[in-house]
Amino acid sequence: METLTLLGSGIWAAASDPMMLLAILIGALVGLLIGALPGLGPTAGVAIMLPVAVGFEPVVALAMLAGVYYGAMFGGAVTSILLGIPGDAPSVMTVIDGYPMAKQGKAGQALGMSVYASFVGGLVGLVGLTLMAQIFSRYALMFGPVEMTALMILSLSLVTVLGTNDRLKSFISLGLGLWIGTIGLDQIMGGPRFTYGSSILLEGIDFSLIAVGMFGLGQMFLALEEGPASRVDMASYSYRSMMPRWIDFIKCRAALFTGSIIGFVVGVLPGAGATAATMMAYATAKKMSKEPEKFGTGAIEGVAAPEAANNSASYGNMVTLFTLGIPGSATMAVMMAGLLMLGLQPGPRLFEQQSEFVWTLFGTFYIGNLLLVFITILLVPILAAAVFVSRGLLFAMVIGVVVYGIYGINLSLDDLLVMAAFGVLGYVTSKLNYPTVPLILGVVIGPMLELGVRRSLITSRGDFSIFLGSSISVFLLVCTVIILVLPLFRRFRHSRALSTEQSA
Amino acid sequence: MSTLKIMGVAAGLALGFATLPALAFEPERDVTIVVTSSAGGGSDTATRILASVIDELELTPVNFLVENRTGGSGSVGYSFVAGRTGDPYLWTKVGVSFFTTPLMGESPVSYTDFTPLAAISVDPYIMVVAANSPIQSLDDIIESGRMISGTTGIVADPALLAQKLQEELEIEVDIVPFGGDGEVTAALLGGHIEVQFGNPSEVLELIEAGEVRAIAASSDRRVPGFDDIPTFVELGYDVVQTQLRGFVMPRDVPEDAVGYWTAIIEQAVASPQWKEQYLDRFNAIPYVLSGAEFQAEMDRRNEEYTELMTTLGIIE
Repeated sequence: METLTLLGSGIWAAASDPMMLLAILIGALVGLLIGALPGLGPTAGVAIMLPVAVGFEPVVALAMLAGVYYGAMFGGAVTSILLGIPGDAPSVMTVIDGYPMAKQGKAGQALGMSVYASFVGGLVGLVGLTLMAQIFSRYALMFGPVEMTALMILSLSLVTVLGTNDRLKSFISLGLGLWIGTIGLDQIMGGPRFTYGSSILLEGIDFSLIAVGMFGLGQMFLALEEGPASRVDMASYSYRSMMPRWIDFIKCRAALFTGSIIGFVVGVLPGAGATAATMMAYATAKKMSKEPEKFGTGAIEGVAAPEAANNSASYGNMVTLFTLGIPGSATMAVMMAGLLMLGLQPGPRLFEQQSEFVWTLFGTFYIGNLLLVFITILLVPILAAAVFVSRGLLFAMVIGVVVYGIYGINLSLDDLLVMAAFGVLGYVTSKLNYPTVPLILGVVIGPMLELGVRRSLITSRGDFSIFLGSSISVFLLVCTVIILVLPLFRRFRHSRALSTEQSA
Repeated sequence: MSTLKIMGVAAGLALGFATLPALAFEPERDVTIVVTSSAGGGSDTATRILASVIDELELTPVNFLVENRTGGSGSVGYSFVAGRTGDPYLWTKVGVSFFTTPLMGESPVSYTDFTPLAAISVDPYIMVVAANSPIQSLDDIIESGRMISGTTGIVADPALLAQKLQEELEIEVDIVPFGGDGEVTAALLGGHIEVQFGNPSEVLELIEAGEVRAIAASSDRRVPGFDDIPTFVELGYDVVQTQLRGFVMPRDVPEDAVGYWTAIIEQAVASPQWKEQYLDRFNAIPYVLSGAEFQAEMDRRNEEYTELMTTLGIIE
């Protein structure tokens, strides 16, 4: 009850201060833009704003930085849906159903759902952050290398859900992704792997380059082949079509709910990240759906689940920073630097000692979330007009923007070459009907799995029984076995049923 | 809370500092400081604060631009700076990768390809254990004969520290590399590792909140703000390891320019503004060296990293 009072006064303090509202607005707008710009993601966005923000009063500064962060989560969906190019890493999964929807003339519906999913996910994440942060921070600490390994094994088993019916091609694609994930300096032993003496590959391949290259450029290369004839079915982009119909909302309620919960629970874990959360949310939504075959061809739940998850994860990510002073991701490390530069000491006593600061800041999050819904709804029809632009013009512009965004990450021309290489890879794999999603899954999950296994084995000195020594780990491993075995069991029953039918 | 406070304008008091030794070099252009890690990291923060202190004190008519050139584990930024020989308006910040990436043969330039300006501070490390850990002192670790410690990377100071303790305490050490300080702290609090060597500013709050217990400090003297915590040396073990912060320029920069910028850094880090905004806030220890002394310090550190990486089998 006391928490609610504190939160209420925090929201009021944030809402009644025009300076604060302006900061939230600027942060959210910058975030939206950076999120939508392919390549630059939330970490870069917060880092870009940091030197500007530290000139302000602490609450205003942090409200702005956080605005960039959750704003980027909203914005990432825009290019994912309209152009099939993920605006940032956590919106990769949104491409898979969002872009087909746009091609079918349902861009408004998809964008509308992404706004609502972002809002619902954000709200669930916020409630978790503001009302249950202490509980969740303790839970996050229980996830050490052993538990993380088990979670990543569970995530990898999702390839059976995320791949296509061609199992062999799905697994080859996964294997390729796992291999790409090992490129760069080995974090455990320190030596370079598969860099072939090139310093470009030393820090590994930025996930944005892979995502933008494979989805964005790869799809563009494919489309060029189709020629100018195949124009998008002109849909109406009235405000009316922007609003998800209630039936969509009801249809997606399970995907929204599980997406939000998975996003938060995974986002809380230090080192796990929003992208992994969106993959789990998407796979779960597909698994639970009555029509899983529609996923990948424009299922609206396929937009709802990952968008709810990445927004929810963004608040989950803040839990350990505010309760313990532990940044759980690169973006949070930048936020923490901001706190320190402003003379605020993040740590377990922040809630007590800087109570007003924390609650006002949390208040700004609620306002920012609501604000973003209005901003995005207003902006989307303008953005959605992109589909009316002829392909020749559009592709040229998009490539310009993509090049700018990717170059902006490190100011490196080498990154552009790497991205182009992935564009070619994306084109080739699509041509040969290899699914892209398992590859992306491998790139994201592989390194976390490898690090988990090796860290665990260092502490146990090579004894594999450590993975059975934790109840969380055992639980997750049992879930994995169930996921893997259940379809086999079903198929077995199905074929037996068939054969009895035939013999009857 | 509605007033806008712009930091740069706030301090018009520091005019007394603006007198410089009469030198031939007169800066005409803005200075670029290349930081090879991303914005918000320790190197970036120290650099930006130094730049803003120099600006606040009006030590020089020109401005400082901090530019993050990341990639290639530092080799991208460092080779950019080293390639601009003779440029008197280009600095870069010394970090761990300044030494380690060239040692691995992954950079076309090494620490000897630069002109030293000045070292400004060292960051000590505080050895901490979780509050519920049975470890109360170094003796407990010696008794158990083994220690599982976390590090921010395998070629990083906490790993070097663990390695040194392995020899000095005659124990076996398992070093688990994580993706950053935050992950190490989370693993420590969750009981997944036993020991962390943390940045003072990050562990101070955890110590005061009773989440972790400090065992020893890695500097040669006690850390400001941690006056009760003994150093390893005081406890009888010859272990000192700190992170050096300093700035260098490309080769062949005219001597008077080097002297000019060195004097500016020295004045800035002697100011109360620097103490308040950096040293006190980040619990860093002032450590000001220039010229040959700074070069000798870098030689020594390079030697240490070479040794560590050879021991770990990363280089031969």
